[in-house]
Amino acid sequence: MSAIRIARSALKVRPTAFRAPAPLMLRRGYADVASDKLQLSLSLPHQAIYKSSEVIQVNLPAETGEMGVLANHVPSIEQLKPGVVEIIEEAGTTKQFFLSGGFAVVQPGSQLSINAAQVEGYPLEDFSAEAVRNQIAEAQKVANGSGSEQDIAEAKIELEVLESLQAALK
Amino acid sequence: MLSRAARPALRAGAAAAVRPATVNAPAATYATLREIEDRLKSIRNIEKITKTMKIVASTKLTRAQRAMNESRTYGKTSNTVFEKAETKPEEGEGKKTLLIVCSSDKGLCGGIHSGLSRKSRALAAGQPDMNIVVIGEKCKAQLGRSNAKAIKLTFQGVGKDVPTFADAQAIADQVTLIPQHYDSVKILFNKFVNAQSYEPTIIEAYSKEAIANSPNYSAFEIEDEVLGNLQEYSLANSLYWALAEGHACEQSARRNAMDNASKNAGDMISRFTILFNRTRQAVITGELVEIITGATASEDM
Repeated sequence: MSAIRIARSALKVRPTAFRAPAPLMLRRGYADVASDKLQLSLSLPHQAIYKSSEVIQVNLPAETGEMGVLANHVPSIEQLKPGVVEIIEEAGTTKQFFLSGGFAVVQPGSQLSINAAQVEGYPLEDFSAEAVRNQIAEAQKVANGSGSEQDIAEAKIELEVLESLQAALK
Repeated sequence: MLSRAARPALRAGAAAAVRPATVNAPAATYATLREIEDRLKSIRNIEKITKTMKIVASTKLTRAQRAMNESRTYGKTSNTVFEKAETKPEEGEGKKTLLIVCSSDKGLCGGIHSGLSRKSRALAAGQPDMNIVVIGEKCKAQLGRSNAKAIKLTFQGVGKDVPTFADAQAIADQVTLIPQHYDSVKILFNKFVNAQSYEPTIIEAYSKEAIANSPNYSAFEIEDEVLGNLQEYSLANSLYWALAEGHACEQSARRNAMDNASKNAGDMISRFTILFNRTRQAVITGELVEIITGATASEDM
């Protein structure tokens, strides 16, 4: 819960809301199943960024370590830790999103579904480095303070998210 | 005349009964005229209120529907893994089931809450030892009468606005804190079929054992300690989906209910206007007759 607030307030104010890149190709059929492309569904509670769009590669910050997923990856369920998800699209362009947690599931048949919920995902350039720095200082104050156990635990999660965000921004 | 004289007591009684009626007769028509006017006024006010509520619900509905569509893709993405793994709920003898009913605090939206209550009563009748968690005052009141013992936990204040993921997380958190272990968790909500219809539907939130026992589970590579997190996370996801869709249904049902109420009020207004005019006419005619009769009578004298 707190992670949502952090990522949101770290956003620079933008006049227009972030829009998901329109899925260029949404073809479905037998050909796609056999294709060597990865079908990515990246969804957040309030918006779906990718809806079974074809991409080449996705790099994920999994709990077990950073991993790259290509087509025909072995089916697996991975918990994500706060970090940057890198998506290499068909045209070769790379998109980066910061997610603070969630699950990535590689389904049989080259399908990858990522549910990032704990935080909304935003492109990296939407975050302001200064706001992140300020919030880290604030979270550190709470974590080292004499709040309740739950407050301290929440502040520590906040710190973890923010620090990985800061590392990603550099 | 003879018969009346024979019963003087009755005559006195009849006279007493007749007098107030004749005295009050003109006054009564005036009073009904005033009464009709008052009722007309209050119906007009009601129409204004229901119209406003309808407009408010329509504006909220567009937002709720957008949130519903996003949450549906989200929930479906989250549940694909269970589809692929062919996970089945653990049911049968000695298995504990938890039912989470997603209603809301506000009424005036047709029968969506009672639809949920009816469905949950039917489910509870099939499984007597089922426990229930109720989200929202309406279903809490309805289920509290019939299944008070089964209710474990209730939540209020959800569904005032479009539900957020944080709401769902907070609820999922409280649900996982219930000490009792449940083999199967069912989330009951109103599925949005179209703007006119909705139906109580169930999504399963599988328990850890159910996930681990699913036939195709071995196809996936997964760390053991992640499984618990996955289960809690998918509970929150499904809850979010159910809350968002239920909210959209509520707004749509409220819009329809208020639309009908405004129409009915409009009908009543036209009926009462006609009645009012007729009565006024009758009163005027009655007065004229009285005046003319009086005038003629005094001319004769």
